[in-house]
Amino acid sequence: MDIKNEVLYRVYFLLFGLVTPAALTLIYYTVKIGVIEGEEWRDLGRNNFIVERDIEAERGNIMAADGSLLATDVPIFDLYWDPLTPTEDDFMANVDSLAHCFANYIDTDYTVGAAYDYLFQLRDTINFRKNRNVLLKSRVSYSEKKKIEQFPLFNLGQFRGGLIARKRNERKRPFGLLARRTIGYVRDQATDIGLESFYDEVLGGQPGTQMMIPLDRKRDLWMPLENLSSIEPKNGDDILTTLDINIQDITEEALLKGMQTHDADWGVAMVMEVNTGKIKAIANIERGKTGWYESYNHAIGTRTEPGSTFKAASMLALLEDGFVNLATDSIDIEKGRKEFYDREMEDSYSNSANLDTISVRRAFEISSNVGIAKLVQENYGTRTKANDEKAAELFIERMHQFNLHLATGIDLEGEKNPLIKEAYNTTDDQWSGTTLPWMSTGYELLITPLQLLNFYNTIANGGQQMKPLLVSEIQRYGQTVETFKPTVIKRQIASKKSIEQLQGLLEGVVANGTAAKLKTSRYSFAGKTGTAQIDYRRTDKGTRIGGYQASFAGYFPAKNPRYSTIVVIRRPRRAGFYGGDVAGPIFREIADKCFDSLTDLHDPIIEPTTTLRWTTNQLPHMDIGRREDMDVVLDYLGIEPSGDPETPLVVTMRQEGRDSVLLERRSMPEGKIPNVVGMGLRDALYQLENLGVKVKIDGAGKVVRQSLIPGTDPRNQTITLRLN
Amino acid sequence: MSTIAARIYAELRGDKAIWAIVALMAIFSLMAVYSATGSLAYQKYGGNTEAYLIKHGVILLAGLFMTYIFHLMHYLRFSKWAPVLMVIVIPLLMYTIAFGVERNDAHRWIDIPLTGLTFQPSELAKLALIMYVARAISSKQEYIKDFQEAFLPIIVPVLIICGLIAPANLSTAIILFFTCMFMMFVGRVDLKYVGLLLFLGIVLFSFLYTLGNFFPDIVRVQTWTSRVAAFMDGSGEVAQVTQAKIAIANGNLFGLGPGNSIQRNFLYVGYSDFIYAIICEEYGVFGGALLIGLYVLLFFRATRLVTKSPKAFGAMLAMGLSILLIMQAFVNIAVSVNLIPVTGVTLPMISYGGTSLVFTCVAFGIILSVSKYIESVS
Repeated sequence: MDIKNEVLYRVYFLLFGLVTPAALTLIYYTVKIGVIEGEEWRDLGRNNFIVERDIEAERGNIMAADGSLLATDVPIFDLYWDPLTPTEDDFMANVDSLAHCFANYIDTDYTVGAAYDYLFQLRDTINFRKNRNVLLKSRVSYSEKKKIEQFPLFNLGQFRGGLIARKRNERKRPFGLLARRTIGYVRDQATDIGLESFYDEVLGGQPGTQMMIPLDRKRDLWMPLENLSSIEPKNGDDILTTLDINIQDITEEALLKGMQTHDADWGVAMVMEVNTGKIKAIANIERGKTGWYESYNHAIGTRTEPGSTFKAASMLALLEDGFVNLATDSIDIEKGRKEFYDREMEDSYSNSANLDTISVRRAFEISSNVGIAKLVQENYGTRTKANDEKAAELFIERMHQFNLHLATGIDLEGEKNPLIKEAYNTTDDQWSGTTLPWMSTGYELLITPLQLLNFYNTIANGGQQMKPLLVSEIQRYGQTVETFKPTVIKRQIASKKSIEQLQGLLEGVVANGTAAKLKTSRYSFAGKTGTAQIDYRRTDKGTRIGGYQASFAGYFPAKNPRYSTIVVIRRPRRAGFYGGDVAGPIFREIADKCFDSLTDLHDPIIEPTTTLRWTTNQLPHMDIGRREDMDVVLDYLGIEPSGDPETPLVVTMRQEGRDSVLLERRSMPEGKIPNVVGMGLRDALYQLENLGVKVKIDGAGKVVRQSLIPGTDPRNQTITLRLN
Repeated sequence: MSTIAARIYAELRGDKAIWAIVALMAIFSLMAVYSATGSLAYQKYGGNTEAYLIKHGVILLAGLFMTYIFHLMHYLRFSKWAPVLMVIVIPLLMYTIAFGVERNDAHRWIDIPLTGLTFQPSELAKLALIMYVARAISSKQEYIKDFQEAFLPIIVPVLIICGLIAPANLSTAIILFFTCMFMMFVGRVDLKYVGLLLFLGIVLFSFLYTLGNFFPDIVRVQTWTSRVAAFMDGSGEVAQVTQAKIAIANGNLFGLGPGNSIQRNFLYVGYSDFIYAIICEEYGVFGGALLIGLYVLLFFRATRLVTKSPKAFGAMLAMGLSILLIMQAFVNIAVSVNLIPVTGVTLPMISYGGTSLVFTCVAFGIILSVSKYIESVS
């Protein structure tokens, strides 16, 4: 056979006898698996272990009116370690230095040696434990996590080092306990409260889902699968509250101080913006076992008999019905004692004992129970022509007209409805002969501090009742998606004339009534004190628990009011119990500070016509600071300094002649006591405390003398600075 | 663009069809590896799949550069290299068995000092042996049917090399053994001697099998038996094969599209051993058939070289390399469609893997070099 042909036959045999059939076989099997049996295998594929996992949506922020964060989600991490991930070599090479880091950063209860043993123990006992992953540290911040990830062994990555970080979100309140109950919380095993609860749906968003497939089921390692439908979590929206950080802070501080002074059970203070009904601050403080807490939102959830602050409502009814003429009418307050049926009413104002017939205005100003009760009883006590034969029914009608029987509808859960009795309804002992007079002075009815504040706010607002507004906007990624405008509940709860008269009466209380000692020359305010007896009914044994609820409700400034405020102090035990003595000063403190921020109401500051920039004897002398700061100051003063020290981080200035200044280098020896003479206290403290020196201070101003010579070893030293 | 393409085209000598095959396969490779390394990248680089793409791309570029360099050389040089390479390769393989780096229980790699890279001597051995056999067959054409003069000198190195590769890498050894057998078949060796060679191969395997029972660390008898057993009763490790079948089925006729593989998450070595399944999943049965067609086309172009110059060393060399590549390819694909037990054979020019890819490129370079000269002669 021809050599060439023999080779060709053999090659063609390979090509057509082996390669081509093999290729066709492979294609046939591919088609068989992929198309003919396709459905069967695809079915099997769907059973692959894919799981759907929820992805937590980020909860929205709760913000104060200025956008500062009151509550926000912060990511935190729980760090686990799988001791079986590292290889023997990796583990042995790193365990020494890891133990060192462990003892110093992760758990300082361990010594380095103990940490070393612990790491070995974790690794060697792993097979006896149910869960392979050991919790190393929980609630670790992002930056802390970053740091721990850099530790030896862990820096090899999750799949070699075995460090597993599980992320979750934690609710943080950057302002601590500020407005705690109003912001509230949503958590397991507790009743949800506050804004967090009321706006839970808005804040919560929608969790997403993600298909995960197992990388290693034993180690609970999962990988997100991107090409299968996953639903992105919809993050929660932010809510912008009306709360003003500064006012809230002022309010809480003032209330706490009052609570401590008077050692009371609980107290409430609230500030509301008159025109809009925006709540600027809600503070609740309660005595706890170990201190003072905000543990219940009494402002909206506790209704009490208000006492004299309610007389404003009685007065408004009388004015509205034309039963009193403030210019002419007077009333005999019978020296502050009078029996209504079988019960004696007495004034708490001690001067009442010397008074009989006084003007109605005066009776209101000195908060005479007898006076107000007699006026109400005379006009609403019996069915007469003047009251349309309605008697007490008319009085109750007026209370309804003022919306005092309704909750405000504030957007917080747990607001209690007020209780205004139904006239002449004697079922369940509701109504008796004494109900009307006592009601007129703020008893036999229940109302929350917020509802009473809302009434005073309406008076301040000329009769227009606003709905208390706590949330003004809902935002998504900084964009407003919903705005809550101030809402008018009732355009006019009483005639303009009656309201104006009542405003006059409330101003009178401050000008010359029970709140006279609270007045200030800086601004005017109006309001009403309240000193309600609590637990006044005698028990079966004839003892009385007693106690008072001191309150003050009012608004400021008296003309064109901006804010209305209520302060309620429950059962003060020390330093007085009158509303004017206990609640009034707290009101003043809040009002003072609020007024400070209402700069448009301040008297204009008289600007000097010519600005004196400097005089010779005020030339900077021996001042120390950073060179660039000095340049700014000197530039402002228009002084050209002489001397130009090369690398002065700290520079002294010395007066030279009348109008020139020399810059000098002030060196700071490292690790030694520096020369701080000439420095301000803040700079000096910074320098010295960085060295660990204890500093005692004497005087105020700049440092003029220091007790340790510059260059001294700072260790275990105490330095005394004289300031002038 | 067209000018650059024209310039590259002008640079390339040899069979343009083979060049086209190389280019198409390189593109397949990049896309499939990028897809299939997803879960590997998630574990090692925190989801940075580009890391693997870049690494693979660099290796591929280096490989194509080797193709270019080798195709520029005169193929007769390889004839001179053959004996030298054989002398180097034999001790290298022995060293690997004794001191090789262990990966997946197999001593197949050795460290290249100072570089931090590893290297698979068996890949070099394949080239060396095929060059040697091609040289021997072409130089002994006159008396090729003689037992002592021709047959023995050819088969002894084949048995030695395959015997040294087999303990750690049986499938490569078998493929290489059959490659040499087919080369001898094409090279007009007497058919009864070819049969004898097959018999000797079986004897050698039996010897190694027995040896493996005494030295299980050196000869991976247990792996062989377990894989074959798993293939027979369809359990254990074959879970991977099931996942590969699911991948092929997911692809159906036209595939899920580039980058849409789902099964890559379940195929742990989807980027090498089961890359054919991933290609089918993303490009469908058509994609798979196209790939098989490319290998057949390669073989067809090699047979053309043989028909043009049947006796030449070059034609025999190109033939041998093509047989090697197509056998590797078919073995790899046969694993994916569950026709044979799981082996560790990669898909030439496609799979992720440094040494194997570079040597495949070198093989292409040599084939192209041969085609260049055979074309210039005719």
